[in-house]
Amino acid sequence: MRKTSQAFQRCVFVALLLAVALLDPQPEPVRAAGAGAPTDWLAPGQQQALERARQTVPLIEAIRREGPLRRREHLHDLGLTVKAVKTTYFYLNSPLISAVEDHYTGVRFNHGQHAAQAGDCSVCHHLRPEQDVAYSPHPETVRCSACHQQAFDERVPERPGLKAAYHQRCIGCHKQQRSGPQVCTDCHLKQVPDHAKLVKLPEHPDALQVTAECLRCHEAQAHDMLQTAHWLWRGPSPYTQDRSREVLHGKGTTALNNY
Amino acid sequence: MRRRSFLKMSLGGAIGAVALRPNSAAAWQSRAPADSYAALVDLTRCIGCRKCEQACQQEHDLPLPMKSFEDLTVLDNQRRPDAARFTVINRYHSGRVNPEGQLVADYVKVQCMHCQDPACASACITGALSKTAHGAVHYDVNKCIGCRYCMVACPFEIPAYEYHDPLTPRVMKCTFCEQRLREKQLPPACATICPTEAITFGKRSALLKLARRRLKEHPGRYIQQIYGENEVGGTSWLYLSAVPFSKLGFIPLPNKPLPKLTETLQHSLFSYLWSPALLFTLLSGLFFFNRRKQLQQPENSAGHAGGDV
Amino acid sequence: MSGHPHSHSHSHPPVALRRPLWTPGVLVMLAFMAAAAVTLVVRFTGGIGAVSNLSNARPWGLWVAIDVATGVALAAGGFTTAALAHIWGRHRYETVVRPALLTAMLGYSFVVLGLLVDIGRSWAIWKPIFFQNHHSVLFEVAMCVLVYLHVLYIEFVPVVDEGLRDARPGHPLQKLVAAINRRLRPILWIFIVAGVVLSCMHQSSLGSLMLIAPTKVHPLWYTPLLPLLFLLSAIAAGFPMVIVEATLASSSLGTDDEMEVLTPLSRFTIVLLGLYLALKVGDLLWRGSWTSLLDGTTQSNAFLAEMGLGVVLPFLMLLRAKVRRSRRTLFIAALLIVGGVVLNRINVFIVAFTPPLSTTPYSPALGEILITCGFVAALMFCYRLAVTWLPVLAEKKEKTP
Repeated sequence: MRKTSQAFQRCVFVALLLAVALLDPQPEPVRAAGAGAPTDWLAPGQQQALERARQTVPLIEAIRREGPLRRREHLHDLGLTVKAVKTTYFYLNSPLISAVEDHYTGVRFNHGQHAAQAGDCSVCHHLRPEQDVAYSPHPETVRCSACHQQAFDERVPERPGLKAAYHQRCIGCHKQQRSGPQVCTDCHLKQVPDHAKLVKLPEHPDALQVTAECLRCHEAQAHDMLQTAHWLWRGPSPYTQDRSREVLHGKGTTALNNY
Repeated sequence: MRRRSFLKMSLGGAIGAVALRPNSAAAWQSRAPADSYAALVDLTRCIGCRKCEQACQQEHDLPLPMKSFEDLTVLDNQRRPDAARFTVINRYHSGRVNPEGQLVADYVKVQCMHCQDPACASACITGALSKTAHGAVHYDVNKCIGCRYCMVACPFEIPAYEYHDPLTPRVMKCTFCEQRLREKQLPPACATICPTEAITFGKRSALLKLARRRLKEHPGRYIQQIYGENEVGGTSWLYLSAVPFSKLGFIPLPNKPLPKLTETLQHSLFSYLWSPALLFTLLSGLFFFNRRKQLQQPENSAGHAGGDV
Repeated sequence: MSGHPHSHSHSHPPVALRRPLWTPGVLVMLAFMAAAAVTLVVRFTGGIGAVSNLSNARPWGLWVAIDVATGVALAAGGFTTAALAHIWGRHRYETVVRPALLTAMLGYSFVVLGLLVDIGRSWAIWKPIFFQNHHSVLFEVAMCVLVYLHVLYIEFVPVVDEGLRDARPGHPLQKLVAAINRRLRPILWIFIVAGVVLSCMHQSSLGSLMLIAPTKVHPLWYTPLLPLLFLLSAIAAGFPMVIVEATLASSSLGTDDEMEVLTPLSRFTIVLLGLYLALKVGDLLWRGSWTSLLDGTTQSNAFLAEMGLGVVLPFLMLLRAKVRRSRRTLFIAALLIVGGVVLNRINVFIVAFTPPLSTTPYSPALGEILITCGFVAALMFCYRLAVTWLPVLAEKKEKTP
């Protein structure tokens, strides 16, 4: 008896996992190559954002140093305020960052919102290149990755790489502001490893084999699931025929097929 | 007379041994590589995310810990590196507060410091531990006999041991990802994964320059010390901090390289085995001197052992 | 047994005792050995961690402190008596050379056995011979112990030869040993002198071992003089060890009590122990570490016990002629000195070792104690076997009126 009920529990758990996986909101269509997700629709600006993210530009070695105040005034004089923001949406996923390790997906960064809230471009665009650069419409506010590229670059050892530049700036501000994302997964989704390579099943697996395979890695999550209301729920079942007076049906008691 | 000539010979030998005594041994030379790689840990940048621990585990194929790397409750306890983890992040509350008056945590990464003149390598009986030109203190398991003298010698208490392996236990410690650098030309795994570049990788001289520059440009952000610059003669891992290092689990250490005393002692005593040779010569001389005396007056041989009682 | 012809008159030459072997004492030794054997099986199947409390912070424990460091120190009787009797030419002490040599030989053999248990890769113990680190103090110690062990075996050949000649005359093995001994005789002095030199080298270097960890060793013990102190304490403990051993042997086996040798022997100890005491006190004052003498910690108490009971008390005792003449009080004084050296080695390698970062405490596990006790019992058992079959000890003298 116990064994079958356990098997059922596992079946249910797998079903739930599948359901969660299917319902998981896809953050951006590139990741959504999986079944069911629409592939022909793209959010406005998404395509350009993705292309920009893939782009790398030549490293700017020489920079002009000004004090922060000077810099702010300078940008203000040039009329570089929030009104000048052309691109609202950036998808931060440069190959510079994901070249060595790729534990997280890129970050959707609302440039417009940040510009509006900061009201001061010099917070992020803190330095400018010594010379004008061809690829930038405005050399005063070149993208981060123009200066911040590989970490530990011997040519510019004091300059953090792109990943650290982002993180130092983001974390620094958000800690100070005590708002917005606080932990890794507030900005990133975890890069889920390709389960096609991880899952090992026979040709025509039965339900229990599949469950066992899931549990091979996700044992802890299975135990967690069994502690949740999804599993322990019990209560009235007024729509069950002839059972209207019984109030203690549910996944934790008599219900068998509780998909 | 044979004995007499032997005595003379031994005396001559003794004088010779003293004359040959290597004077150069007194001047101990550091064997630190000229400009090796190093890492600079800026503790003010560390956010305690434990990604370095995770990267280290993956790079070295170490066993997975009981609690996942995302679980930050492990920071509630002070941990030490061991045979299953070469680096750990510890959290300290030094009393530093933010403008709202809340305690600010400091995170400290702990791993092998890869000393410039490592005590473990000097101590190692077979030379299984050695300082490479690249900067790493390299462990060669094929030479190791498992005496654990390296663990005794290490001032940072880093080398760990596989105590539950009956026949082939290994000394386990941070490798500085030496192989990774050599084969893939990549910095250590903990350095590349660090999201805030709290770990900067580069040549030691460049990093010291960088560290001094940070101290100069942000005098309020740091205390004016680079831990590892001079400690035990310098280490390949350097630290910058906002609070005194003594509050973050760093111990004060002498600036003298630890091998200096023992190596000076050993080499000044035993270079070319001059002192054993001298002692041998003197004792042999004494031996034959007494034997000759005894052969001349065998009856009295027992009579000069100092008075009874 | 040296290059000497047996010219000097042995008033009572050593003989094989041929006493019944299976006495209650021997059975107790066997019980300890059996317990150790079981522990050894666990050690070599489950690892060092399965039987010991050793940890990453405390990598050296009882085995290094007792089996190795104390074993070497207490085997010092071998080279000190050899130096006295053969090199200094004080031949009246010949009678105690053989038992001391036997103890040293067995002591060093068990040092090596102890090492085999303590090092993680016992099968790799030969590696230092080929992979040499000349900067390592331990390398020098290991090489000296290796060579000295063989020197001791060689020095013991005459005893074996003599024993075989009495027990199995004409046996091929006896002929072989006799032939070796004949060849050896003219050059035996080399080994005797080399034994003393090698001993001085590694007895002192054992003290240098801890000099590489200045931040971990308690200031009461950490001094650049450690090698000298180790050498001096080993030499000072050499004769007391001979006294303890001879007294124990004569009590349990009914052999000659050798008091006419032991009493004058103890006079050397006064000088040596006094020198050690002076050096130790001078060192405390010079480094200023005496300030932590009375701070009530385990370390300061252990230091006071080591110095008070192991050095000062026996030193004061030995100053009195009455103490030196009485078999009982001489034994007690010698035992205190031996205990003092044991305590000193335990202190230096275990009690004083206080790593500042890790707080893992160390006290020996039952497994460690069982193996150490088993080795000590095995050593005593081998001693008993040797004196039974080989001419090491002298029979009781005819009582002269």
